[in-house]
Amino acid sequence: MRLDEHLPALLLALPLLGAFSAPLVGKGSRRWVELLLPVLSGLTFAVAAALLHRVSVGGTQLYVMGAERAGLALPSGMSLPIRIVLEVDALSALMAASGSLVAFACALFAVPYMRRFSGFDKFASLYFLLVAGMLGMEVTGDLFNFFVFLEIASVASYGLVAFWRDRPEAIEAGLKYTVVSTVAALMVLFAAGFLYGNHGVLNMAAIASRVDLGVADKVAMALLFGSLAMKAGAVPMHMWLPDAYGEAPSCVSALLVSVSQASLYGLFRTSFSLFGLPRVAPLLGWGLVVLGLLSMFVGVTMAIVQKEIKRLMAYHAISQTGYMLLGVGVGLVASLSPARMESFGLVAIGGALYHVINHAMYKGLLFLTAGAVYYSAGTRMLDQMGGLARNMPKTASLFALAAAAIAGLPPVNGFTSKLLIYQSSYALSPFLAAVGMITSVLTLASFVKIFQSAFLGPALPELSEVREVPAPMLAGMALLALAIAGLSLLPGPVLEHMVMPAARALADRGAYIAAVMGGGM
Amino acid sequence: MGAIYTGSGYWSVGWWILFAALALAMTIYFRSLGRGDYKVGTEQEEFFNAGHPVPEDPREYRFPAASTYWGFTRALSRYYDFLFAFHTGFLQDYVALTAGVLALFGVLALLV
Repeated sequence: MRLDEHLPALLLALPLLGAFSAPLVGKGSRRWVELLLPVLSGLTFAVAAALLHRVSVGGTQLYVMGAERAGLALPSGMSLPIRIVLEVDALSALMAASGSLVAFACALFAVPYMRRFSGFDKFASLYFLLVAGMLGMEVTGDLFNFFVFLEIASVASYGLVAFWRDRPEAIEAGLKYTVVSTVAALMVLFAAGFLYGNHGVLNMAAIASRVDLGVADKVAMALLFGSLAMKAGAVPMHMWLPDAYGEAPSCVSALLVSVSQASLYGLFRTSFSLFGLPRVAPLLGWGLVVLGLLSMFVGVTMAIVQKEIKRLMAYHAISQTGYMLLGVGVGLVASLSPARMESFGLVAIGGALYHVINHAMYKGLLFLTAGAVYYSAGTRMLDQMGGLARNMPKTASLFALAAAAIAGLPPVNGFTSKLLIYQSSYALSPFLAAVGMITSVLTLASFVKIFQSAFLGPALPELSEVREVPAPMLAGMALLALAIAGLSLLPGPVLEHMVMPAARALADRGAYIAAVMGGGM
Repeated sequence: MGAIYTGSGYWSVGWWILFAALALAMTIYFRSLGRGDYKVGTEQEEFFNAGHPVPEDPREYRFPAASTYWGFTRALSRYYDFLFAFHTGFLQDYVALTAGVLALFGVLALLV
């Protein structure tokens, strides 16, 4: 048996093992759970990295549960896949590697950060479930399983958002997120039902090969598009996000960014791989562009007036999602013409996917620095902070790096992906690039505000006892800072070997279908 | 290694760092030229605080986050009034907005 054939299944098995073993291990000692959380998260990242390498060398990987061979999608005599199929192409593998790296960094951070609170075994269990749900959404090739993993991630995040249940605000945020998210998940289930009723199959590649854009298909498309845009935090369906991100423990907020990106991945798959036919591509493409513009501008203008550090960052998460929606939307509109696709469409998709990875890293780091500030200073209100750089120089430096990245200051990674998005969206309409640039300027203004309010100025007497956070928390933040440094200093190799293969995988609907409907390996 | 092409442009992280270092060196040079006019013990030593008086006790010299960009938000007050009214915090509004967007997109999808 070759272990590398089973990497897709292992990617899901490891966090599930953690989720079910954490309460048992926790019966012994909290220290065992404190060991389990980072170790299993690190192993999950190692598997995701190995899978990314395998996909980059060998192309799309299929994993068929219960088949004679892992890659056998269509046994002899079968015209449709009936088993659960995991389909890992360059986009899925990149998303999984990015998400699992953030999960590993957050796990390191969480160990000391959550030490002041009881119920760490329950926290770890929910954390692993959240990671399993996120990764499952990114590697599954089955629409019903996508719904199942979406629900696993959602249910885990309800508990984690309201984990500090002594705070009424956390309970309220958890409740709101539960209701809104359940509505969205229900719509995804309805969409799966419409498609199954129409085509008799739930495998996404098989559905894509049979889509005829009749009434049932269009209703399913609208339900998937709207509900996944809501789960990704697109304006005007973003209201749950500042509450949820703001009230969750910071290590969870940082991970929720990547979990929302799994919904974004689902939205992109829906728009390209599932329904990306010329008849509806303009509607889907311009739909993404409009949601992107609204998210960018409303998100950043709401962020700039916030006085609570995590709510401010949460509104920025909405704003940054707008860039990704814009880039992929421009790519989808351009896909109608091979010349435009070659000229700027693929660059737009590449820029958006580069931004997805960048955002996971720098927004993850920003939320962790906010957690470090809360851990040491005991407040999240910017007006109650000041001069923290004197006692927390490492956290301040890491915040400055992440702030430069999100603001798109050269030479940091946010600049590279934004440049790709600006130049490609300019080719479609200069207005799109102008909104992007204005948003970037306002983003810089927001983070100057945080840096000035929290870290600069004279030390406040009430914060004189503040000290730097423990080493594992710094290690979690440093891991993401290293990723930012790599993405900043090596844009060429990152783009050539990771991002553009993912962009081509997303744009090539035929290849996505053929990987399964061709019968597999 | 650090260079990428965007289709209509070019970005090289190595060249950028080189030019940034050059700009920094020029800035330090120009700043050093200006120091000849610096007169110790005159008003040139005083802080300038956007026209506001500077407090005697440096611990009082703070610029709270709530005051940052006051002019910006004031100038866009009508836009912000609309935004704040839009963000009600009521759960039923969250669900209604989601349902509204789903319905709108459904209608558009059926029309194409």
